[in-house]
Order: sequence, then C-alpha cells, then structure tokens
Amino acid sequence: YVRPQGGAQDFKKWGNSELFTLTYGALVTQLCKDYENDEEVNKQLDKMGYNIGVRLIEDFLARSSVGRCHDFRETADVIAKVAFKMYLGITPSVTNWSPAGDEFSLILESNPLVDFVELPDNHSTLIYSNLLCGVLRGALEMVQMAVDVRFAQDTLRGDNVTEIRMKFIKRIEENLPAGDE
Amino acid sequence: MEICKVFFHLSVSVILSPLQNYPLYIRSVPSQSELKFHYTVHTSLDVVEEKISTAGKAMAEQRELYLGLLYPTEDYKVYGYVTNSKVKFVIVVDSSNTSLRDNEIRSMFRKLHNSFTDVMCNPFYNPGDPIQSRAMFTMVSGLKSDKCGWLV
Repeated sequence: YVRPQGGAQDFKKWGNSELFTLTYGALVTQLCKDYENDEEVNKQLDKMGYNIGVRLIEDFLARSSVGRCHDFRETADVIAKVAFKMYLGITPSVTNWSPAGDEFSLILESNPLVDFVELPDNHSTLIYSNLLCGVLRGALEMVQMAVDVRFAQDTLRGDNVTEIRMKFIKRIEENLPAGDE
Repeated sequence: MEICKVFFHLSVSVILSPLQNYPLYIRSVPSQSELKFHYTVHTSLDVVEEKISTAGKAMAEQRELYLGLLYPTEDYKVYGYVTNSKVKFVIVVDSSNTSLRDNEIRSMFRKLHNSFTDVMCNPFYNPGDPIQSRAMFTMVSGLKSDKCGWLV
C-alpha cells in the first residue's frame, strides 16, 4: 500500500471546505463556552494543535517526497509550499527573515478556517486559528526542531493580513517519545 | 416563524427569522420612518403566508423563492422572498421609484440571501439573535448606494 502523493488536489478533492470550516468553528465556540476566558481557549487550541501536529507529520512525510531539510530556510519553504498547500489548499508567502536566519513570517492572504467568521467584541483577545500554531510546533518537534510559533497579525482582529511568526529555538538532540501534553 | 425582513428605504430591508416573525435585521434610510415600515412589513407577512400556502397545494411544482410584488400601497411597493427554511425577506421600495426592474429586485434578494447564509455560518452567531454582522452592513449599504441613482 502506497500512500497517495500529496498536493493541492488532496484538499480540493473535498469539493468545498464548508464542513471543515464549520467544524472548526463549532470547536472554537464550544471551547469558548467551556472555558469562558480567551487566554485559556488559546492555550487549549494550541494544545490540541500540538496533538494533531505530532501525528500529522507522519502523514505529511509519507505523502510528500521531501527529504530532510538542510537548514531552516528550506524548512520554511516546505511548510509554505508543500504542507499548507496539502492540508489547507493555500500557499502563504515566506518573508521577514531575521538577520540570523532563525525567524521568519508566513503571510496568509486567506485562511479557510476563518471563512464567514466575525469575532464578537467580547472575544477580542481570542486567537481563533491558534490550532495552527500548535500543529506546526508539534510537527516540527517530531523532526527534532524546537520552535516557537505565534500569530503576529490576524485579519479577524482587524489587520490586513494574517501573519504567523516562526522562530527556531534549538535542535532536539535526545529522542524523546512523543508526549501528549 | 421568524421572518427575516430586510427593509430598504430606498427601500427598507428587513430580515425576519423563520420561527417567531420578529425582525432580525432592519435597515432603512431615513430611520425616522422605521416605525411606519414595521407596520407595512407586518401586514405583508399575511400575504407571504398566503403565497406560501397556496404554492404548497400544487405539490408537484417547486415553489420559487422569489415571491415578487406582494402588494402595492399608495406610497410603497412591497416585495417578498422566502427560503425553504422559512426565512423571509421583505423589501419595501418607494412607489415613485418606478425604474427598479424585477430582475434588479431579484438580484437584491439573492445578495441578501447570500449574506444571510454567511451570517449563519459564523460560529459566533446564534440563530435568532439580532444580526450585527459588519459584512451584512457593508453589503446592504452597497445595495442602497447602488440604487441611489434611481431615487431622484
């Protein structure tokens, strides 16, 4: 059994992504009801994302034919051009590299998670798509990279674009078992 | 059943929710005549109900969503549109505005329907709440300004 090759087709085969978008929306609003506190919801989304990421990386590596990345720049390209395209059908641009080459931004022109979403005023500190940060963090941890991922800009909170900032912390030397947080 | 009324004053647009016949969204210009429109729209509900039930009897045919001109008053023309989920849209147009064609009204309803669908898809919107969507506001403003040229 060979896993089918990845690509934008995987996501587009869904036909339309409404069910995906609405499912994510139901998840976020349920968390808001359960925790009643944006900070806590953000944390939960990150945690859930992490648990997805540590698993999703296996699917990603099996589907795509990318080999080991030689440096962080290559990692950035693979994330933007292969992974985002495969799972969300979008290709963010990679920009704003730090001089040391250890930090960059992903600029998303659109985001299928937030179609139709309008944040009410009482949730102004909610990072709606925070699941993505956890996914990226968990996935990279499984390939021995510790990273910090956060939203620097968010169209839901009034910015023109959505910007995810990723910073390389360190290489993980020991083989730690994948821990559910 | 709530009826979504969309009042345009130019028209008044009112979106009425499908369950209890109260308005979810009303936009009119100028707003001082809003009360008068509430009355006009409320009476138009009877016509809407009548149209839906008559169509129901001809079981073989599919009822069209656009109901057309519900009834003309001396000052206004009232148009209706009902979805299969019983959400009702009402547009009230100034009678002096004779240049608005049927297909333009249809297109206004289509845009309203699409906007309403987007509002429903917002996970933070609870069905039955008054609609406070910015996107809806922008769309309706666009509709009214489109039609401003006709109001001379």
